[in-house]
Amino acid sequence: MEGLIQVIVQIWLIYTVIGIVFSMLFFKFGLVTVDESAENTTWKFKLLISPGMLIFWPLFALKWKRSGS
Amino acid sequence: MGVNYKAVQWNRQKKNYDVVLWMIIGGIVLLFSSLQLVIHPEITAETLIIRTSALTAFVLLHLILMIGPLARLDTRFLPLLYNRRHLGVSMFLIALIHGAFSIIQFHALGDVNPIVSVFTSNPNYQSISEFPFQILGFIALLILFLMAATSHDFWLKNLSPEIWKGLHMGVYLAYGLVIAHVATGALQYENHPVYWGILFVGFTAVATLHIFASIKENKVLTALKTNAVNEGFVEVLNVESIPISGAKAVFIHNQNIAIFRYLNRISAVHNVCKHQMGPLGEGEIVDGCITCPWHGYQYIPENGRAPEPFIEKLHTYSVKVIDGKVWVNPTPKPEGTYVEPAILEQQ
Repeated sequence: MEGLIQVIVQIWLIYTVIGIVFSMLFFKFGLVTVDESAENTTWKFKLLISPGMLIFWPLFALKWKRSGS
Repeated sequence: MGVNYKAVQWNRQKKNYDVVLWMIIGGIVLLFSSLQLVIHPEITAETLIIRTSALTAFVLLHLILMIGPLARLDTRFLPLLYNRRHLGVSMFLIALIHGAFSIIQFHALGDVNPIVSVFTSNPNYQSISEFPFQILGFIALLILFLMAATSHDFWLKNLSPEIWKGLHMGVYLAYGLVIAHVATGALQYENHPVYWGILFVGFTAVATLHIFASIKENKVLTALKTNAVNEGFVEVLNVESIPISGAKAVFIHNQNIAIFRYLNRISAVHNVCKHQMGPLGEGEIVDGCITCPWHGYQYIPENGRAPEPFIEKLHTYSVKVIDGKVWVNPTPKPEGTYVEPAILEQQ
């Protein structure tokens, strides 16, 4: 049981770290491509949406990829 | 296209709401911490923070859950609904203080990862009095985090209103987990009947308000549907099944009707183009006009008239939207008759 929980927590940590790296790149290069209403938004806005980005980053990776293709 | 996002769309009303909210939160914190100090004079600062934040978040969660049905029962409560998302985020932050201090106090001092320790330190799943209640609280906190993190309009747009709404209905699951967390946790130690009574009163208040609001809504809906039937309307399809700026065709009472969804409105016209009998319901709205998929003949959705200088006219039909369903009166209006479109509720 403990081993399984440890694995889940490790995967969660890795997922979150990838989310942090993705968010930084996405806010810099992809956000406006995916949602044009995010043009000229402040760092406060990006800070507010960043916790959610740590969860939903795969969705935005997909959207970013589609918008570029 | 839309207005660019802002971190918070501040206005005077929202500022007033937040000032009152944080005055209330301050009052609750003061009240609960004073009570704790009176009842347990030996209490440590960490325990005081854990208990006060728990009680404050618990009260706020009840308020949040009661605002919705209260506003449906009596419109005077609508102002409370106005900035409920700030209330929700505030409640989450206070619950986070409770969760963080609890994990630090009870799980951070060993050599096991504190999060792992939450799930593994107490294996008494068969016992009620010793149930690992912290797991329930932890999962509830994760749900509340998910909701707080996606409270900005950015998420409403990018997750889609349907998914966003579904996600935020998770508050009821979180509430159930919190009730179980309190019942199997704090109330196993502080088991005076008064505490159980307070828990019961809170739960009953939330449940009763939801039941009354639901009964009232059902009554209103039943009355609306009865009136619609009496006026000759027929329920035909879900609003969501009609593509935006598009249409769905229905055949009822020998009438071939195209129902269009555009600019948050619904209109219905005869489904046959005057030019070469093309199926208008397979067309779409272009430049505000119904546009035939065959040769591009156009009609104004509200009155079925071709824009000037053209003179073609279609039959129009009365429409209503009740509880997300489109109702149509299949009796055709004379060609070119203006019919008020049904307005859809803003998401």
